[in-house]
Amino acid sequence: MTAALPPGIDRHITVRADTAQLAAVRRFVEEVAVEVALDVEKMFDLKLAVSEACANAVEHAGGEAMSLEVCARVHAQRLTFTITDTGLFHPPPPRWDRITNRGLGLPLMVALMDEVVFARAPGGGTMVSLSVALNRDIAASA
Amino acid sequence: MEITITALKGVPLLEIRGEIDHNNCGALETALGEVLDHGTTVVLLDLSRVTYIDSGGICVLLAGLRRIRDHGWLGVMGPNHNVRRILEIVGLVADPGFQVFADRSEAEAALPETASVETIPPANVTPEGDRT
Repeated sequence: MTAALPPGIDRHITVRADTAQLAAVRRFVEEVAVEVALDVEKMFDLKLAVSEACANAVEHAGGEAMSLEVCARVHAQRLTFTITDTGLFHPPPPRWDRITNRGLGLPLMVALMDEVVFARAPGGGTMVSLSVALNRDIAASA
Repeated sequence: MEITITALKGVPLLEIRGEIDHNNCGALETALGEVLDHGTTVVLLDLSRVTYIDSGGICVLLAGLRRIRDHGWLGVMGPNHNVRRILEIVGLVADPGFQVFADRSEAEAALPETASVETIPPANVTPEGDRT
């Protein structure tokens, strides 16, 4: 019943590190999600997680001109979005501070994704990978 | 995102449509802040036309809740399935000062009959001129 995955999905978009670009990033996530026939709920989760990762990168850009590259890739029955910024490496944001409400993005990413990875990008920036499993329906019916 | 401030049984009601994100949540913060500045005991947000909310929007709701919790409550109506899930994940739904209603009529039924006496309409919907 699950449609075959398009082979070798590999897409990317590069945007300015600016919160005004978050909507464009979400449209990109939507396009990819439609292409792999993701359900509406998982599509929403990916839009949110990718958007939060981009918002974190924008915050760390501190107003400096910087770009963000968002890549989408299907491999091993997983859809993975990788957000790479061109700034300096910054660690995952702090735990959620209930007083200032800061750092709520990371708990949301972790709650909604099957895997979240923070890594130092080859160029020195920060790379965040967000993955969802695509074979959940198959696994559930097996 | 578009915000329209109106009232339901005298209770301030923010009708929001579109996507609430880090880029535009400042406008929601301002609108909600202005309503709360009037010392109202209940504020309602109609989320039935909200298609997306991120942690920026959630932070605005949490900040608003913190301001009103001691003397009243914050209610949202009509969140779609995905928006409601996010409200649940961040713990808003479980907060006693936060109410989630399926729709407008459910919210209206929860409002005290005296609400219109206790609350003051927000500034931008106060009728022009003297109608008293």
